[in-house]
Amino acid sequence: MNLSELIHEFILALIEPGILVGSIGTVSFINTANSAFSLGLVFTCISLLYFALNADFIAAAQLLVYVGAINVLIVFAVMITDQSVSSDSEKRGIGYFTALGACSILFLTIVCIFHKINDFYSSSIHQSEYLKLNLFEQNDVQNIGYQLLNKFLVPFELASLLLLVALVGAINPARDEDEGKDIAENQKKSFVSSTSPRDKSSFF
Amino acid sequence: MNDINSFLSRLNSTINFSTILPEIILIVGLITIVITDLVNKGKNAIFLYKIFLISTLVSMGILFYQLISVIAFEDLYTNNIFNNLFRFFILICSFISVLLSVDYVLCSKISLAEFPLFKISAGLGGMILSCATNLITIYVSLEFLALSSCFLSGYTKRDIRSNEASMKFLLMSGASSSSLLYGFSLLYGFSDGQVQLDNIIDKISFSQYLPIICISAAFILAGTAFKLSLFPFHQWTPDVYEGSPTRVVAFFSVTSKVAALSLFTRLFRLIFPYLSNEWHIVVELLAISSMILGNLIAVTQRSFKRMLAYSSISQIGYVMIGILAADLENGYASMLTYTFIYIFMNLGTFARITPFSLRTGTNNIRDYAGLYMKDPVLTFSLVLCLLSLGGIPPLSGFFGKHYLFWHGWKAGLYISVTVALVTSVISIYYYLKIIKLMLTKTTNLVDTLKTYEKQKSLVSSVISTKLKSSVEMAMILCALASTLSGLFMDPIIKITRNTFF
Repeated sequence: MNLSELIHEFILALIEPGILVGSIGTVSFINTANSAFSLGLVFTCISLLYFALNADFIAAAQLLVYVGAINVLIVFAVMITDQSVSSDSEKRGIGYFTALGACSILFLTIVCIFHKINDFYSSSIHQSEYLKLNLFEQNDVQNIGYQLLNKFLVPFELASLLLLVALVGAINPARDEDEGKDIAENQKKSFVSSTSPRDKSSFF
Repeated sequence: MNDINSFLSRLNSTINFSTILPEIILIVGLITIVITDLVNKGKNAIFLYKIFLISTLVSMGILFYQLISVIAFEDLYTNNIFNNLFRFFILICSFISVLLSVDYVLCSKISLAEFPLFKISAGLGGMILSCATNLITIYVSLEFLALSSCFLSGYTKRDIRSNEASMKFLLMSGASSSSLLYGFSLLYGFSDGQVQLDNIIDKISFSQYLPIICISAAFILAGTAFKLSLFPFHQWTPDVYEGSPTRVVAFFSVTSKVAALSLFTRLFRLIFPYLSNEWHIVVELLAISSMILGNLIAVTQRSFKRMLAYSSISQIGYVMIGILAADLENGYASMLTYTFIYIFMNLGTFARITPFSLRTGTNNIRDYAGLYMKDPVLTFSLVLCLLSLGGIPPLSGFFGKHYLFWHGWKAGLYISVTVALVTSVISIYYYLKIIKLMLTKTTNLVDTLKTYEKQKSLVSSVISTKLKSSVEMAMILCALASTLSGLFMDPIIKITRNTFF
């Protein structure tokens, strides 16, 4: 291994325990504020992982969206709600062991698959093809922007409409309904006064 | 300025805007609704529905014109007849359901502008889903449809059943679309980064990666079967249908099923042709179980909406036979014809339930007893639609089922067709139970029907007569379509024949 690979391995060895510790902390802290902050640790370490894997756009997007918006929102919500008293997890019934068994089987399966794929991809043919793609000299952000407006224009615009509808839909259950009653009364008055000469059978 | 010019010219060469013109008109309608409501500050709400209707009609007109002159277009869409027919179906669904939903929100005194907004956005998502050939477009439009349907089902926020329904719908659709995305990611990875469905088939070497393709097919099946409410993924359907407002159930019971059908067919036909035997067996099993389960549980239901939910589960089981039986000469004709007839039957049934539940405030089947004496028009149109759902000749449901089962038998799906025939007979039982209840004269009427008045509504009577006409229009349209479509079966089949790809 040359120096650059050694540094790469070292950085990965720093980031991955961070993710592991953060995720264990998220599920096992009793104080919910602690678990929200360790979720922030997980997101930050994932973003550093993306940096180490040379995906700068995704790393920046992860920092902005996940750490900067979603985690802040989660911490905000946790701070507003009451602190619940810790629940005792002394009883470990049959469900605990079933879930433990299923998760460990899943984990072993994933580890086996990763080993097989690693053997497959570290054969010399694939490495030379991969290096030929010359990924390190392209500008990721420029490429993504170009593709978004050319090839993926329809999903891009549709995602912006989706954002609009999601905003409207999120505000709709949450807003005050006093305006609704006034509007309905106004409409009742306007309908009663103005629809008697109109033709009753037509919709328009 | 130079950059903008070159960008626009490049844009015009890559994307032919006339192919997505129906969707663009719907988007313009959506934005107009938002701006109109903002400017009018909540008054004059009927105008919003008129905008919706006009945009839907104009969209349908342009789609008709495109159906006649098929424009070939690559990259994001392919405009073959299959996709255009599905877009047309979704536009029909939107059109009829907006006729149903005008009086509801006025009567229940909640804000009005978001209802047509969500309906247009759900129709838009369904239309783009019907002709997307790109993994990313499929996912974004599927999420668009699911999110809009979820907002629609939680629209009456004061009612606790609506809250429960939208919560269940949101959680389960999130789980299923994550499974779908996992299947897509496997396909994306193993085809060297291709997102277009055609390019994926070219680049994946099926012999080498067969286990991975099978896993990906299983996940995609799980994701799409949720939207279709096939057997193990059907648990959300009765609860969501019972809790949501009835107009909303009418809308998304047809729209999301039609869009999910087109997605299912396209994915499994294009990506997994080499796995045909495997996924045929699995889908056959799912279809048989949905038919059996849907019909058997529907017998025991006491609420009309829940019964219709279980019957729609079984109807999708029948349609699955049509997907499995597609062959070269007939294409997907049986599935498309049955879907077309199913839209009218289902919407017609909901169009009858809606004014009944508005007038009496109940959904129990027992409360329909003796309806014949109070409101014969409603009774007879409901009888027609229920018989059509059951498959009694000479109504169009019979012709649709007959063609479907004959096609299935010809394709060799003997077990499925036998089970479908048996469960059709079971379904006739519970439809006839309701009809018998409605048509028999009982000496002591149920309490709810004693106060049943034809002109009664929650707002002033002027509104009720004016708006009753739109629901009546929808009722008559659906009744006619579900009765007479059987006579026009041959031209319909001829149009839908050329759809194998």
